[in-house]
Amino acid sequence: MTPPPADSVAAMIRPAPLRSDSKTNRDLLSVMQGAPLGYWLLLGTALLFMHIAGGIWVYQVYKGLGIAGYAHPVFWGVYIVTFVFWVGIAHAGTLISAILYLFRAKWRNAINRGAEAMTVFAVLTAAQFLGIHVGRMWKAYFILPYPNQRGLWVNFKSPLLWDTFAITTYATISILFLYVGLIPDLAIARDRATGWKKVLYTVLALGWQGSSGQWKAHNRSVLHLSGLATPLVLSVHSVVSWDFAVALVPGWHTTIFAPYFVAGAIFSGFAMVLTLMIPVRRIFGLEAYITDYHFENMSRFILLTSIIVGYAYAAEYFIAWYSGVEPEQTAFWLRAFGPYWISTWIMITCNGILPQLLWFKKLRTNVPFLFVLSVLINIGMWFERYVIIITGLSREYDPAVWGVYIPSWPEMGILAGSFGFFCTFFLIFLKLFPIVAIAEMKEISIHEKAHATEGVH
Amino acid sequence: MAEIDRRNFLKLVGVGAGAAAASGCSDIPQKLIPYVVQPEEITPGLAVTYASTCQECPAGCGLHVRTREGRPVKLEGNPDHPINRGSLCARGQAGIGRTYLPDRYPGPMLRQADGGYEPITWPEAHELLAKKVTAAGTRTRVLSGASGPTLSGLIARWVSAVGAGGNVVYEPFDYRVLQEASRAVFGIASQPRFDLGQADFIIDFGSDFLESWTSPPEHGRQFAEARAVSKPDGGARLVYVGPRLTLTAGNSDEWLPARPGTEGVLALGIARAALDEARATGASAPSLEQLDELLSGYGANSVSAITEVPAATIQRLGRTLARAARPVALPPGVALTSSRATATAAAVLVLNVVVGALGETLLVTPQVSTPGQVSSFQDVLSLVDAMQAGQVGVLLIHDANPVYSMPDDSGFAAALKRVDFVVSTASGPDETSESADLILPDHTPMESWGDSSPRPGVRSIVQPTIRPLQDTQAFGDTLIATAKAMGEATAAQLPSGSFRSVLEEAWSGTDFRAALAAGGVFQGDGIGGAAVLSANLAALDFAEPSLVGDGSFTLLPFPSPLLSDGRGANLPWLQETPDPVMKVAWQSWAEISHGAAETLGVEYGDVVSVKTPQGQVELPVVPRGGIRDDVIAIGIGQGHRVGFYASRADDGKPGQRGVSVISILPAATDETGSRAWLTAMASVRATGERRPVAKTQENDNKRGRKLGEAVSLAALAEAQETAHAGGGEAEGHGGGHEMLRPFDPADDSSEDSAYRWGMTIDLDRCNGCSACVVACSIENNVVNVGEELVLMDRQMHWLRIERFIGDGEADLETGRNLPRDNEELGNTDVRHSPMLCQQCGAAPCEPVCPVFATYHNQEGLNGMIYNRCIGTRYCSNNCPYKVRRYNWYDYAIENIHEPMNLMLNPDVTVRGQGVMEKCTFCVQRIENGRQLAKDEGRPIADGEVTPACAQTCPTQAITFGNLKDDQSRSVQRADKNAARSYHALHELNTRPSITYLAKVTRGTKGEG
Repeated sequence: MTPPPADSVAAMIRPAPLRSDSKTNRDLLSVMQGAPLGYWLLLGTALLFMHIAGGIWVYQVYKGLGIAGYAHPVFWGVYIVTFVFWVGIAHAGTLISAILYLFRAKWRNAINRGAEAMTVFAVLTAAQFLGIHVGRMWKAYFILPYPNQRGLWVNFKSPLLWDTFAITTYATISILFLYVGLIPDLAIARDRATGWKKVLYTVLALGWQGSSGQWKAHNRSVLHLSGLATPLVLSVHSVVSWDFAVALVPGWHTTIFAPYFVAGAIFSGFAMVLTLMIPVRRIFGLEAYITDYHFENMSRFILLTSIIVGYAYAAEYFIAWYSGVEPEQTAFWLRAFGPYWISTWIMITCNGILPQLLWFKKLRTNVPFLFVLSVLINIGMWFERYVIIITGLSREYDPAVWGVYIPSWPEMGILAGSFGFFCTFFLIFLKLFPIVAIAEMKEISIHEKAHATEGVH
Repeated sequence: MAEIDRRNFLKLVGVGAGAAAASGCSDIPQKLIPYVVQPEEITPGLAVTYASTCQECPAGCGLHVRTREGRPVKLEGNPDHPINRGSLCARGQAGIGRTYLPDRYPGPMLRQADGGYEPITWPEAHELLAKKVTAAGTRTRVLSGASGPTLSGLIARWVSAVGAGGNVVYEPFDYRVLQEASRAVFGIASQPRFDLGQADFIIDFGSDFLESWTSPPEHGRQFAEARAVSKPDGGARLVYVGPRLTLTAGNSDEWLPARPGTEGVLALGIARAALDEARATGASAPSLEQLDELLSGYGANSVSAITEVPAATIQRLGRTLARAARPVALPPGVALTSSRATATAAAVLVLNVVVGALGETLLVTPQVSTPGQVSSFQDVLSLVDAMQAGQVGVLLIHDANPVYSMPDDSGFAAALKRVDFVVSTASGPDETSESADLILPDHTPMESWGDSSPRPGVRSIVQPTIRPLQDTQAFGDTLIATAKAMGEATAAQLPSGSFRSVLEEAWSGTDFRAALAAGGVFQGDGIGGAAVLSANLAALDFAEPSLVGDGSFTLLPFPSPLLSDGRGANLPWLQETPDPVMKVAWQSWAEISHGAAETLGVEYGDVVSVKTPQGQVELPVVPRGGIRDDVIAIGIGQGHRVGFYASRADDGKPGQRGVSVISILPAATDETGSRAWLTAMASVRATGERRPVAKTQENDNKRGRKLGEAVSLAALAEAQETAHAGGGEAEGHGGGHEMLRPFDPADDSSEDSAYRWGMTIDLDRCNGCSACVVACSIENNVVNVGEELVLMDRQMHWLRIERFIGDGEADLETGRNLPRDNEELGNTDVRHSPMLCQQCGAAPCEPVCPVFATYHNQEGLNGMIYNRCIGTRYCSNNCPYKVRRYNWYDYAIENIHEPMNLMLNPDVTVRGQGVMEKCTFCVQRIENGRQLAKDEGRPIADGEVTPACAQTCPTQAITFGNLKDDQSRSVQRADKNAARSYHALHELNTRPSITYLAKVTRGTKGEG
């Protein structure tokens, strides 16, 4: 993605009129004030789902993983699918915050806060699935390399251990990134808040006064964090992909997995940003800050990554055929025409075919279309992981023990609950913290003003 | 006592412990208390083994009962026993569980007016029974299963002492047909023996000798011996005649799906051809001339028209049999006993005579008359008539479940209601004991004294190995006590002591202690009496049998290799082990051909209604290639209403498990009054309902993958030549699969270790009987998960037998939702391949475990530390052999019902919820061997350690040993058979420690 040329910076926020600092503050902070009935309904629904899932999970711990639909030899199911799904979602935030920051793609400013928040909550959602998935979650801490008198250590050869490190690292950096970016805005909020919120923001703002020294330190921190986070964008999902690529399961054991998964993650992450920000913009009237231009840029990203993902699908099939390895060929044939054919065709349609409509500018700027498409992409990407994990395991090397796994209701309940968890935190975040980076928006307007006065670029 | 000092405290503790120990005598101990006075022969932690005899079927295999701290935990074959020589079948292995079944009767019980039962004491029971018997007099009858000579003798004495009307000995699967046929052909009414071990050509007219007929472990061993590939011409050939691809048929070299019921005609046709051949070569014995007239009507063409076997095949088989050095023909088993069963069996005996098997491979044993002789089915039906007519006042039922195993058509259940007083000695509830007025539970075989004499020259002893778990009494003691209660006069006619003393008396001619230690007295094996053709053959009618009903399918009820006549149905290990042929567990299914399924418009899992004039059953259909179009086959053994595991009580559901085909069969006998099974035509129609089928292997197409390999004799000879010519590096056989990186499994253990454990599994010997599966489960505390979880493929078996048909092809249709098998009529290329953890040198499971719960140990085993496992299940995903099993629930609590926990092997961890488990090569046995060797300061000797699967294998298909020892039997066997050795899925380079030896496919046509 080429960033727009510097001379069109002003064009980025068109058609929004120039705004004063205080108007920006007021507009963006207004999101945090009051709450319509719809908000409470949404939050209530999200909380309900979250708690139902929590109940199911407690029952699962008590009763055993048998309540899920696992059938030999498919020992990974919806939980791992959903884990990979949420890790994928978590990618867009860092990409937008770090990589686009380094590329000075200023259009990111309007959406980066939302994307970063999404990242943090998605990683936290994903991380829970590691605990939900394991059979003895009360012993899950065994996976951490903590010193103990029994002389037990962890197996650094295992991709699951790499996962643990990748996820914790990514969660740490994402939270830091979100927090550091928030500090100036927290100060703005602090200056206007009263009551307990005042206390909260005061503590969190770390005494931010907006002095040039502080700004300098802030900018350097963001820059360094971007530098640290950039490789993570590539590494986290590469590591997750190695959970599969390192194994010898037909359909898993392929070298294309790391870039394929990273592209897929960005693809799904951007789709999720659209899914979240389109309603947020609409509900809170942020059209002046989050413009169609932002959405169009994101759809371009989606188009690009869709092509990469589509290519990966094709490459997988080609290599399976070209390898001459019969179990591999069989696995792929059955992927498309076996018991799980529906999932496969949902995946291909939603991820490979439908996004091609974004070649048309009319559709790229059609917000309702983008919303529908982004939801479909989310569904498609969930099914992509489902297809990879389940079809691979169900038709492996020994045809005597081929089996079919059908997700159970508890699993689907926990899947739904993961959305509840994510939405709960996202909705609370909306009300407590500015969803659009106020300071960064102002930065843009200052630039704009400067350009406008000077009349030169 | 002002204060408790140390000494007083200890005294109090001692008294408390003593009291607890004393109270333990009447109850199952609930606390772990060390022995106050340690029994001489018991050292806690060490197993004590007792010799006994298996009571699961009349074969009479010798047992070694391994007990731990007074509880039998595992059965093994007695290596010195002439019948089974150390091996044991699946049913024998599972027999140990009867003692621990959760639904056993707690003690004697009397039916009350309201229909319920109330416990009574044994003396009360004896008094009551004595009163009833005295009142009934000759209207007292005994209906018992076949029992050992001592008990049979005691029953006979009791019957005469109390003046009862007689004893009917009832076995659902009896072999009277053989005796009757022998009487007809040789004039000697004894059960002939067939010695397969020395045979070089076997033709089986449907006996199914590897799975259900007379003595499967013995036959399995003999068959494997006869068939050793090292023998000239690759060992014996087997031709199978029968409408269905059974386990035995799958092990044959040629399968003739003749019309069911025409086996006798076919045997005579082949005999005719053999006689002609013998004449042509001038080898015909003059004694055979008397058969000429009998056989004259059985020309190949007319036989072919009746049997649907090509005339050329009949002539070829006749020639082959005539030329074979030691041929043998086996008569039909239960499934094919028609209304002319005796004639059919006689025809097969005639064939044996014609081909010179008599006295060689067919041994006619001298006629003996013992009280335990099984009564004819006609006698049983007469008893039912007497019951119906109200002529039976007291019916004492011992070791039989006729309400289940008699056809509804016989009217047994209704007649039972007309008996004034029914007494059952069942140790746990069954369909018959439910109707009893008085229940006098017998000990289980593990708790009993007894004996068995499966054939002349073999006397085998049954001894108790555990104190009875419930308030039960040996049936013999019940008889004696009842007689005593009837008064002096009656008591005087019976022994005064206990049944044990009766037994000791019966064995008084022997050294009883020595017999106990050895498991019995075994004198010689060869008892081939001289026999000559009898003259009254003409009395037999060899015409086709008649079938009742006008359906379009011949109904073929076949004995389940696992459940037998239904007595195995309450043993969860037998329910959980998939049928060796169809791989269905816990359920009933109907087999029809694909063609018939198409005609009926049904598919896999569709429920059909099978109707005969006697009734109808509904069950799901499993279409297969290996059955004739005009036959529907249903296994015998399911369909129980009563029994914790036999019915659906273990799933917490009412109703019966599966259906009982017996219920729709006519109560028919053959021409000599023996029970006939192949008697009905059935009409079949779809019901529109569909049920999931608990089929554990959905596909028999191995897609050409390196699993269950086979090699033809010719290709093997070629490969051996190549190897001798210097191509010794060549691994495997017949090109196409070259080793990517040759390896030596012995390298995959630590250099410091003297051991690398491994196995050699000879698929040419494996006949698929599944004894190893049950042995493994019991040895390793593998839980049975039940029907609902088997439907989700969640069975926990560490060892499974995979069954493939041919090399298969990588056809892409296989693997979609509807499995279609590759069986076809006449195709016997069935490969049975035991699949267990391969203990890989480069194990894919090991690197992916994040917590080292599975790891490579010094001796090359893939260790599994249950306590460390967190249940990521990655290891199973990465295991190409898919031998890892996962504890989805807390099975130890949910599925091991008290008191079954008492039979858990204390040497093996009981796995908890959420951990992975798998085969460890019985590491507990390796450790035990190591301790013994260490005590003696020597390395573990070859053969000292044998995993449960290898130990029980009737055919010795599995050899376990140290791969670092070039002289170990395992290595030797792999080396000697290098030309047919391979490693499963070897292209994955997992370096398994198990070397498979490919099955050898032998033709029958080339050498004729």
